[in-house]
Amino acid sequence: MIKYQHGKTCKISHYRGFVKGNMVPFVASRYDWRRTDSYLITSKILTDSKSETVPAIDGAAQQDAPSVDPQQWVQQYGDYLFRYANARLRDANAAEEVVQDTFLNGIRYHEQYSGAGTERAWLLGILKRKIIDFVRKRNRQQRVGQYEDDHDPTNQLFDAKGNWNKTAIPWSVPPERPIESSELWQIVKDCLTHLPSGQADVFTLSVMEGMDSDEICDTLSITPSNLWVRMHRARLGLAKCVGSKWFSADEVSNDVE
Amino acid sequence: MLNSKQATELVSKSLHGRLSIDEQVAMEKHLQENEELRHFADLSKAIHNSVSDIGVQSRDGSASVGPGLSRDAKSRLQDSVIAALDGSASEIDPALARTFDVREEDTVSNPDRIVQPGDFRESRSRFTLLRQIGEGGLGRVWLARDEKLNRNVALKEMNETALQLPMAWQRFNREAEITGQLEHPNVVSLYQYGNESRSGEPYYAMRFVGKRTLADAIEEYHERRRTGACDAIVLHRLLTAFLDVCQGIAYAHSRGVIHRDLKPDNIALDSFGQVIVLDWGLAKITYESEIGIRLSGEADLTDAAIAQTMAGEVIGTPLYMAPEQAAGDLDAIDKQTDVYGLGAILFAILTGVAPHESSHINSGGDLNVRDILKAIAEEDSPRPRDYRDSVPLELEQICRKAMAFKKYARYESAVALANDVERWMVDQGSRQSQYENLRLDGRELRNNVQSAVRDLETNVRFMSKLPPIQELIMAEEPEEISVWRERLSTIFEGMLNAKSDFRSVIYSRVDGDQFTELVRVERHSTDHSTIRSIPRSRLRTGPISEFSSKVLAKNPDEVLTSLACSPLCGTPQPDEHRQLSLVAGVPVFDRTTEEVFGVVLIECDLNRVLHEQLNRRFTAKNVVIACDTFQVIAHSNDQEGIISENFGRPLMELLPQFGRAKEELQSKSEYIDEMDRLVYGARLWLVPKKHGIMFLLSQ
Repeated sequence: MIKYQHGKTCKISHYRGFVKGNMVPFVASRYDWRRTDSYLITSKILTDSKSETVPAIDGAAQQDAPSVDPQQWVQQYGDYLFRYANARLRDANAAEEVVQDTFLNGIRYHEQYSGAGTERAWLLGILKRKIIDFVRKRNRQQRVGQYEDDHDPTNQLFDAKGNWNKTAIPWSVPPERPIESSELWQIVKDCLTHLPSGQADVFTLSVMEGMDSDEICDTLSITPSNLWVRMHRARLGLAKCVGSKWFSADEVSNDVE
Repeated sequence: MLNSKQATELVSKSLHGRLSIDEQVAMEKHLQENEELRHFADLSKAIHNSVSDIGVQSRDGSASVGPGLSRDAKSRLQDSVIAALDGSASEIDPALARTFDVREEDTVSNPDRIVQPGDFRESRSRFTLLRQIGEGGLGRVWLARDEKLNRNVALKEMNETALQLPMAWQRFNREAEITGQLEHPNVVSLYQYGNESRSGEPYYAMRFVGKRTLADAIEEYHERRRTGACDAIVLHRLLTAFLDVCQGIAYAHSRGVIHRDLKPDNIALDSFGQVIVLDWGLAKITYESEIGIRLSGEADLTDAAIAQTMAGEVIGTPLYMAPEQAAGDLDAIDKQTDVYGLGAILFAILTGVAPHESSHINSGGDLNVRDILKAIAEEDSPRPRDYRDSVPLELEQICRKAMAFKKYARYESAVALANDVERWMVDQGSRQSQYENLRLDGRELRNNVQSAVRDLETNVRFMSKLPPIQELIMAEEPEEISVWRERLSTIFEGMLNAKSDFRSVIYSRVDGDQFTELVRVERHSTDHSTIRSIPRSRLRTGPISEFSSKVLAKNPDEVLTSLACSPLCGTPQPDEHRQLSLVAGVPVFDRTTEEVFGVVLIECDLNRVLHEQLNRRFTAKNVVIACDTFQVIAHSNDQEGIISENFGRPLMELLPQFGRAKEELQSKSEYIDEMDRLVYGARLWLVPKKHGIMFLLSQ
């Protein structure tokens, strides 16, 4: 039995394989984070009993198997993964959920970590898939419920002939001072939360995540023309929102001065 | 000239990287002339770059792009990681490790890590909130730990908005009361209902099954099916779950409760086959029922009152909604409405999409709620096979009956619907063995005809190698020619005597595009026992046929086989079908000059071959043989035997059930009806992947 740091035990047979021929058990070193003294003793005996002439069935026993340490994940990568997810999902609860799913999947499929890249990059790979799954699911549910795609900023920005509705253009008087990149992102982030998520998701997946159109259409089960409509509406909606906030921020800033 | 709206589209396209050169020119021209457009383009580009930069920064972690995890969130995540490690260590299904056990010592030693803001249930030492698992219009659902009984539960509480509405309190109470009075293995069990001691806010605790829903299972099944990695057992499991849902709903109906919001997202599944119907918040009560009488006054809400608590929400889910719901006819809602909902779930299982989602997707996602509701209320229910043509026919019929537009045409009860689905599942075994017989019959039929074709090809090749063939090429004197003709005729006659299916054997010389018959031996058209060698004076000459020209293009010993022209591929002549033939031809080369000299052709009576085959006893109800133009060349059924008058009729007009097989056999050699096990198809290629004969059998 293995005794874990947090007090739980498990059968050791769960984590060992057998070396061909003499059926000598070995323990994969990636479980270092679990071991206690009794485990170390077992591990030493097993190491001693390995014969160089007996090939192992499981290559992992002969190579230095990459180790993962899930107990440290939250501290080491929690913030990084959360920020990554939150920037794309615009919802802290959702971001926490996908990060949690990422950690759980990481534990479940730990043997797939080859050690070729960093542990963080490996977890990020899982997180990206979880984000896409989440967006797909959210898109599906919203299609079932709200049909946010009705929202179309073109009705406000243009008249019936397609000319600018000048009273509605927030950027007609451009701000005089250049805006800092970080300041712009804060405004854009805020505006993204005000966009219908069907539009914000395609915009984020395309621009922030760099996914190509086919992948997005496939993920969200939409047609290329619908993707294009959503992207354009997102750009108009963002320009309208950012222009308005930027302009008002500029006014406030001038007033203060 | 572009207007401003179109010009902004070009700007968007440009940022999307899909602008053509002409569009680029048009956009730049417009940018020079239109100041607003310039500002829009600058702003959009700045936004685009900002978002793109943040994408890179958050990926490489080089800059902080927002706040990190809160202390509470980190604590929750750490708990879940530890719980998952426990789960995998004790060899429990990893999916179950997501129950996030929290040990008592953790709670005691580090209370901050469990207690959430506003989390007063924990303070009553009964429930510990672990994490939020769902949110609806009325409230939030948490995964919680029942510390007294040491088990995980789902705990539902009202959200801040709902807490402000007295009507929402009533609805919450009503939902709890209804759920509490439904005790069935397939209905979510309510463990406790109460009010928080300090704030008085209501909550109730239910059985926690897991996060996986029928919607997830359906999506997984269809994703695997699309990649070809799915077996029939997965559909069987989904249908088994569906039967459980029907039982749960039938029970609710017996208690006078109509669920009214049936959809796969409201069906929870666990890893051990348990199926639980959730979310009875929109349920309608028939007030003469036992539950209707028992409901407290506080929970006695009308539909209109429920609707008031759902500002912005639609009662029920549009994509699974019955026509009477979409039409807003609240009085018409009864258990038949749930039967429609069950049919809609079956539709989703069979097709992978919600019944009314398909039209939404087809429209590119631009339909609004009003359009969808209007379509549901006015148009016939969708057909599963319109969205996935391999849906089993009987299941489609069951689904269509459950989803009939008119209520009276639907199943009378959820149990009746479940019975039909179950019957289909039980019949699968016997259907499979019957289908195996059908396949064996079909393969044997094709193999027998294939043998006849091979025999024909072997014989024509043999004929072309006979010594008189070359001697006739070299013979110049009339006597010499007569001798060799006579010898060849004798051999040809012997061939026709031996092969009763062969109609004629011909040896022709070809000069340019003209042929001249040198020897022709044929069977009498009405008296099959009479075989005659055609006198020299009656031998034919004329322009060569397309078939002969293709034969001449072949190399020595290469045989071309084809169905002979008949009403199927030319202008129909009366009774011409009786002359339907299979013709095989091989080119003859002059051994001296090595130039092509002529052709040897054998004509086989195809009708005779096919009728011999069709006179066998088949397990199939219908056996049809069709040509490339999908016209019937032979048809027999189990009642009448061979039906000659169907010759030449379009296949789809005669037997439309062969439609899918017909499509598949255009490029494949075999069609196996995996879903219905009703039709088998095989194709014998005369010219691989181009021309052939189709054999179709149906039960």
